[in-house]
Amino acid sequence: MTAKEVIIFDQLELLSEMSRDFATSRDMQASLEKAVAHITDYVKADGGALFMLDEAGENLVCEACVGATEITGLTVPSDQGIVGRSVQNHSAEIVRDVQNDPNFYNKVDQETGFTTRSIICAPLRVKDERIGAIELINKRSEDGLFSDDDLRLLETMSASAGLAIHNARQAEALVEQEVLARELELAAEIQRSLLPAARDDAFPVHGVNIPARMVSGDFYDYFELEDGRICFNLGDVSGKGMNAALLMAKTASLFRCLGKTIHQPGRLMALINEEICETAARGMFVTMVGGIYDPRSGIVRIANAGHEPPLFFDASGTYSFFEAEAPPLGITTFLADGDRYPENEFQLEGGSFYIFTDGVTEGYKADGSELEVEGLIKILKAGASKTAAQRLADVVAAIQENGGVLRDDTTLLCLEHKERVDIEKTAANDPYAQTMADQWGDEIIVLEFPSQPDRLKLVRSAVSQAAAFCECTDEITQDVVIAVDEALQNVIRHAYGNRADGEIKLTISRTADNFLVFIRDYADTIDVDEVQPRKLDDIRPGGLGTHFIREVMDEVTFLPPPEGRGNLLKLVKRIA
Amino acid sequence: MKHEVREEAAGVVVAFDGDVDLQTSPEARKVLLDCVGQGKSIVVDLSKVGYIDSSGVASLVESFQSARKGGQNLVLASVSDGALRVLKLARLDKVFTICDSVEDGLTAIG
Repeated sequence: MTAKEVIIFDQLELLSEMSRDFATSRDMQASLEKAVAHITDYVKADGGALFMLDEAGENLVCEACVGATEITGLTVPSDQGIVGRSVQNHSAEIVRDVQNDPNFYNKVDQETGFTTRSIICAPLRVKDERIGAIELINKRSEDGLFSDDDLRLLETMSASAGLAIHNARQAEALVEQEVLARELELAAEIQRSLLPAARDDAFPVHGVNIPARMVSGDFYDYFELEDGRICFNLGDVSGKGMNAALLMAKTASLFRCLGKTIHQPGRLMALINEEICETAARGMFVTMVGGIYDPRSGIVRIANAGHEPPLFFDASGTYSFFEAEAPPLGITTFLADGDRYPENEFQLEGGSFYIFTDGVTEGYKADGSELEVEGLIKILKAGASKTAAQRLADVVAAIQENGGVLRDDTTLLCLEHKERVDIEKTAANDPYAQTMADQWGDEIIVLEFPSQPDRLKLVRSAVSQAAAFCECTDEITQDVVIAVDEALQNVIRHAYGNRADGEIKLTISRTADNFLVFIRDYADTIDVDEVQPRKLDDIRPGGLGTHFIREVMDEVTFLPPPEGRGNLLKLVKRIA
Repeated sequence: MKHEVREEAAGVVVAFDGDVDLQTSPEARKVLLDCVGQGKSIVVDLSKVGYIDSSGVASLVESFQSARKGGQNLVLASVSDGALRVLKLARLDKVFTICDSVEDGLTAIG
């Protein structure tokens, strides 16, 4: 190698080391200090300083310095001093007669007693982006003056340093962005994991949730209980973004956790309400419809906390709404019904039940107008022959036509059980016998008696003995007796209208965990909706019986009216 | 179910004996409303009532409200566990004055 080649090689070596350092080090400050030290050393200067332009571009701040005087942190206006001139003009500067240069910033010399004789300064920049400048002071020689070669050397190295700093800064910003994006993606992933896995078409519940942003304030969920019943819910948290997403996660988790042991939607939601009222951030609330569906009886029970009225299409295609009768969760623990949200009960009977958020009805169609409830009904009707999942996809497609961007989180849930209707049609003639045969426990005793009040005492005694036979505790026995007695009163008074010649058949059975009572009558089929517990704070005689039954039993279900006429009520008390 | 009405200085003591259910509650209702109609305050002795159903509770509530309207009082005394369970289910344990004994009841209405 010639001497010149050696110099070039050395330079390249230095440049590559500098770039590597910026690229691999996470400590920008340390890299800057190293770079200044290398360059100062290489050009053989007494001191060197690296200035960076601040964000506003108004000041140059010394970020690193070496030798001569310590000026780290020194700030000069970006249009002053030799360094300022270099940055403004995008040009390297060499000043041999420093003291006479009008731009020389002599304050440092005055304060430190150092004598600056010669300065070379080169800008740090990438294309037109000003980054700062590197300034070297006094050549380490007798006269202390820099040469033009020194200036060119500094220029070359400054260009590389500029590029390295630029890259390092971009990498830093990118890393920051990536960290944020990754956190958001993680949050979104956890949210998605809170949604239930889609089930095959035969399953009665299907849902869809599409966040307008990365995370969603909407949610839906469904899960099966051990006895085959299905709990479901759909909710909408006020607001959007991360805080809504967090409250969504909390509410959904509470529902899933508590829903496994509390099977009355109104009570379950009252508990969740209490929890949210106690702990949620002020002003945030959740609208929700929660429910439970019994595939055997076809009965759906729901409670609506301030949510958009769910929509029910019966088998003939006639639709109706279930208006909310109570405020959203998180507003107040003072509920009109005391310790529960009001419930509605209905027979699915081949119909379809839809819960949706306002993101659906307020979503924009292709022509820019809102879908509204009418639009939703139209799509659902048009898709009547499709599967539930396809129908939900049709709704989403209708409001996603505008470039795929949704106005709000969009969530729908559909409950329908076409297969059940088929099963029923082919079922044996006596669903009562069928029911008993299926899985409803070992028979303990069957009683048949007329609809006369004077038989109730006898029956109470029999039920009490049957409970004792099943080794129920005194409390459970007491409760079961109350429930059966009240249910029989309802049959005598309401189903048979106090007629004395009605037939009643009472069957007591048990499973490992449950004490079961079936009460069969042959009166006109009653309207389940009318058998509602009355409000307890409304103190007046009568109407208490149904409340007692629901209060003391774990499950109260009207099974599909058996062939012909009549009613079949199933009462379950957990005894294990 | 049997019943017994006893006059005391503070009012009447109505003691039921047996279950107050759909079969017997009309009788209980009549006895209580008759006493209310005579302008008397009442202590209902439930010590011998092992079981009371919603229709029995309804009779108590109706008599209670009727008594209150006439400025009289109606309190329950010696409520058995079984009857108390039903009153609690109806949240009526907070509405009725429930006394440990008939004597306490007489003091309460006096």
